[in-house]
Amino acid sequence: MNTPDNDKAPLFKSWNGWYIFVILFLVLLIALFYFFTKRFA
Amino acid sequence: MSQLDWIVLIVTLLAIVSYGLYKSRTSRNLDGYFLSNRSLPWGMVLLSIMGTQASAITFLSAPGQAYTDGMRFVQYYFGIPLAMVVICIFFVPIFRRLKVYTAYEYLENRFDGKTRTLTSLLFFLQRGLSTGISVFAPSIILSSLLGWNIYWTNLFMGGLLIIYTMTGGAKAVAYTQQLQLIIIFTGMFLTGYMVVHMLPKNVSFIDAMQVSGKLGRLNAITTGFTEKGFNWSDQYNLFSGIIGGFFLALSYFGTDQSQVGRYLTARSLRESRLGLLMNGIVKVPMQFLILLIGALVFTFYQFNNAPIFFNEVQVKKIEQSAYRDSFVLVNNQYNAIAVQKQQAVINYSAATDADSKEAAAISLAQLQTLQKQSDSLRKTVKTWLDKKIKGGDGNDTNYIFLRFVVDHLPVGLVGLLIAIIFLASWGSIAAAINSLASCSMIDLHRRFTKKKDSNEDEYRLSKWYTLGWGIFCIIVAMFTYNIGNSLIEAVNILGSLFYGVILGVFLVAFFFKQVRNSNAVFWGAIAAELVVLLVFILTKINPPVFKMGFLWLNPIGAFGVILFTLLFNKLLIKKTAMR
Repeated sequence: MNTPDNDKAPLFKSWNGWYIFVILFLVLLIALFYFFTKRFA
Repeated sequence: MSQLDWIVLIVTLLAIVSYGLYKSRTSRNLDGYFLSNRSLPWGMVLLSIMGTQASAITFLSAPGQAYTDGMRFVQYYFGIPLAMVVICIFFVPIFRRLKVYTAYEYLENRFDGKTRTLTSLLFFLQRGLSTGISVFAPSIILSSLLGWNIYWTNLFMGGLLIIYTMTGGAKAVAYTQQLQLIIIFTGMFLTGYMVVHMLPKNVSFIDAMQVSGKLGRLNAITTGFTEKGFNWSDQYNLFSGIIGGFFLALSYFGTDQSQVGRYLTARSLRESRLGLLMNGIVKVPMQFLILLIGALVFTFYQFNNAPIFFNEVQVKKIEQSAYRDSFVLVNNQYNAIAVQKQQAVINYSAATDADSKEAAAISLAQLQTLQKQSDSLRKTVKTWLDKKIKGGDGNDTNYIFLRFVVDHLPVGLVGLLIAIIFLASWGSIAAAINSLASCSMIDLHRRFTKKKDSNEDEYRLSKWYTLGWGIFCIIVAMFTYNIGNSLIEAVNILGSLFYGVILGVFLVAFFFKQVRNSNAVFWGAIAAELVVLLVFILTKINPPVFKMGFLWLNPIGAFGVILFTLLFNKLLIKKTAMR
């Protein structure tokens, strides 16, 4: 079943919103891991 | 293994094969067989991408890595979210617009046939051998721990999945990966719960984490900087993870057909992108949790006697060698330290509960000293195995988690965990075999046969290619047993030697539109490969000219191709102008 490419980004206005979200999520994870490391070190 | 474990194992494996066969109905052409008619929603694409990347070794090695070296291995995955974004922006739209079956097909459109052939051959070499190792690596661990015959284990590990992969192609692979991952996550969650549950009653989860952290096992972030500056040979730190990991992930997800073939099965560009971006979001936390299980296993062994070495086959080798008496002494010492450590941990927990900082500091210092002594004794045994005993292997990282499972988890859960090892292997091996078959069909067979085959013929031939690659991987696994660990190491390195160069070719194709001369990129790739090999040799000769972690080979390869291609392109333009 080949369907034409629908490329509308869900939740965000454009895909750039998704890209920024993924990168910010990574930054948040790194920050959390940093505090986790410090907390138990 | 108990009867119940056997029942759980056999029922789980048969259920997966049956489900794969049930879901294997697809249209009898290449679109149906290799791309599931480009019909899958993003959720399926996500699970397929995750199931392809996560092999048995992911679930065996990561907890063992946390046990021996701490959780810093999680940084190895930091490049993935960034790579997902780049792939979504640049790679996926081009692959989808051109409606390619394989990533290498695009290179013929952009450059020429020989560049496509070069990259697909590098893929065959790397993926074919590494899939054989993916069959062998979990098989040897299971056969050592459970006393199974290695040849039969290889056959079951690599053979049963061929039934549904050959019959149903990409669709069967994706559907079985979905079920496999559900079972895997359930089993890992139960294991995590059991580890915490089996800690002594007076030790809370936070106490357990404190002990693990104080002994250096919760070091999720490390910078790689020492008093002498940045340590380039340090494999896993924030910078090697983000930079080296980014290039590795970009080449793996963007140019390795075993992954490209997964997101090309999506029903639209939107679904491909969502699957990849969701992978970027869930992959790092998932690895963190798997590593946390390893750190908790480490804590568990602070209250229970851990074996000095987790691979019993290797221990038997020591016991039959000239080191047997020394081993008895070292082992006795190790067990005596373990008893002292258990007492120190209990004292430390009691002191922190009573909020007595001084007593806690004394217990902690004692615990850290004992841990150092204990690590030193383990290192002695590892050195014997690595350097003194013929056929010895001093690396038991992959054995730690499964040994814990077999020795300490309740009946039934052991069978489920063994089944998980099979399922994790099947997910990645099935996708690899499917991608190797698609490249054989699209990048070689279609290009080099003069006769135009019908859809039905191509479909039938693709099934035979799938079977052929399945058999090839089992043969590699069988040979690996005879050749030994050197082949595993060689194949692991092989990936880093070629991935950067393949990525470099794609980066030139996407971002350097001025490069039109296909010879420039072809010879640029060859020159960069030679540089990567040279750098690798310089780090491996004795004594090494310099030390460097293997992740850095990926950016070297990628940038090498770009630089050489631009240089050759300029020279070729000049040469043409002079004529």
